[in-house]
Amino acid sequence: MTKKKTVPYVLIIPLLIAFGIFMFYPLYKVIENSFYESSFLNPFKRQFVGFENYKWLFNFKLFNPKWSYFMSAFGRSLLWVGLSVTLKIIIGLGGSLLLNSKHLSGSKIYRILIVVPWAIPWAMGAMMWAWTLNGQFGIVNSFLLKLHIIKSPISFFSTPLTAFISTILVDVWAGLPFVLIMLLSGLQNIPEVLYEAATIDGAGDFTKFTKITLPTLKPVILTVSLLSLVWTFNSFDIIWILTRGGPLNSTETLPIAIYNVSFLMTRFGGIGKASAMTIAQVLLVTIVSIFYIKILGKGAEG
Amino acid sequence: MKKAIYKKIIYQILMLMIVVFLYLPIYQMIITSLRPAELPWESPAPLFPEKITFSNFLKAFQLVPRMPRYLLNSFIYGIGVSTISLLVAIPAGYALARFKFLLRKGLMVIVIYANMFAPIMLLVPIYVIMRKFGLINTYFSVILSGSIFTIPLSTWLVTSYMQGIPKDIEEAALIDGCTTYSTIYRIVIPMISPALVAVFIYAFITGWSQQFILALGLIKNDQLMPIVQGLYQFFSRSSVRWNELMAAILISTIIPVIMFLLVQKYIVKGLTAGGLKE
Repeated sequence: MTKKKTVPYVLIIPLLIAFGIFMFYPLYKVIENSFYESSFLNPFKRQFVGFENYKWLFNFKLFNPKWSYFMSAFGRSLLWVGLSVTLKIIIGLGGSLLLNSKHLSGSKIYRILIVVPWAIPWAMGAMMWAWTLNGQFGIVNSFLLKLHIIKSPISFFSTPLTAFISTILVDVWAGLPFVLIMLLSGLQNIPEVLYEAATIDGAGDFTKFTKITLPTLKPVILTVSLLSLVWTFNSFDIIWILTRGGPLNSTETLPIAIYNVSFLMTRFGGIGKASAMTIAQVLLVTIVSIFYIKILGKGAEG
Repeated sequence: MKKAIYKKIIYQILMLMIVVFLYLPIYQMIITSLRPAELPWESPAPLFPEKITFSNFLKAFQLVPRMPRYLLNSFIYGIGVSTISLLVAIPAGYALARFKFLLRKGLMVIVIYANMFAPIMLLVPIYVIMRKFGLINTYFSVILSGSIFTIPLSTWLVTSYMQGIPKDIEEAALIDGCTTYSTIYRIVIPMISPALVAVFIYAFITGWSQQFILALGLIKNDQLMPIVQGLYQFFSRSSVRWNELMAAILISTIIPVIMFLLVQKYIVKGLTAGGLKE
């Protein structure tokens, strides 16, 4: 029996090694680096600067006279992520309710149709969208022009506002299938008996939705929202391919800013400052993760 | 009766709107890849191709002669990432699902937390580590660091799948005198093969093309770039050859799409099932 006790520890060794070397050690390095000043080209030669890098987050200004570079990116991230996730959840909830409804014929075909875009890698999807939203020849402009909604084509990626909205739409496109399918599988788990009982009691569709569907689906909605929230916060590929954070920083979210400060804008940036920005990103993700883990824990008790 | 018909029509229209939104770029990709590249573009662009040709698929390879190499690289990244993910996830997932041990609950929380990390957060230290080991510009750098971001969900998928199947068969095998390790090899692995296929394909697709930023940071050698980077080069030139590019995207997307469709059921199950069960 003593032999058996060591078994689980042996089995988790590969996991511990992998996490140790490539996750915890790098994470520790990020924290450490955020207190040092060093150049990317020579990371071994560095200088302890205390909280200077964190002060930089709130002091350094670029283009925007009011907000610091970091705060602009941070605020932009919150807005971008907030809008994107809200849209995903609203459309996803609506769509999954439609798919689960008896009144929708052909829902099996629709289900298959929804899975296909999910499988398309985000980077490839972003490239497709770059052409779909092309300012001259994109199909979106064609549609809008032929329906006489607009008079001249829109250059979606050349003005700050349209670029911001367009990148959100592409992100919604990338995340929507996941939300739809997860919510649908949640809806399918609600026992039919509940609805039958409600019908006997004379409840209408709206009452059924607010009294049965929403409360039963709540844990699934929460889990999906939180997962989607984290993934959207971490979203890099889509914006990088479509706009690289431009025009005029209008789509420069936190991940894009971190990449820029670490690798591209080395004159005013550098590893120390990028690490301080990364800590902000890690904190955001950690907060969401805590909620997520709590919900999973609750689900297990029930 | 009339109300029901209206409902049917409205539902159908709403659902179609979602489908149109999801398929807009896919449709654009298909019609562009089939449209002859010689035809000049006009604004507004036609909604249907005036003529159809398959020559763009060939031209994509002529225009970017390294396309096969990029595809091969992506394949290597995919296989590498999924192999490492499986090697780590099978024993760890089994331990988490079947044993009660000291660190279990904490480890499960760490696995879930680790799933929330993105390459952008750890890219700089990973770059430094890889440089220390002289692994920059090697397949290993992207495969090793890429696996880290697929291992959490892979472990989770194995754990939650195992929790759904009864222990009886393994226990019988143990009583019959098998060691734990031979039980894993002979009994557990065949039993959880659907989950393993799901893990393999999930990790393969991620390695194939999702980890754009890792290759962006760790690979500077054109010979080793994955297909996304290969396409991206093509894309960032001053005049983009859209017809050939869309054909190239179609070619490089079809493999992950087909693989994903085969196993999406298990991935959904893994993500919804489980929980932090005791």
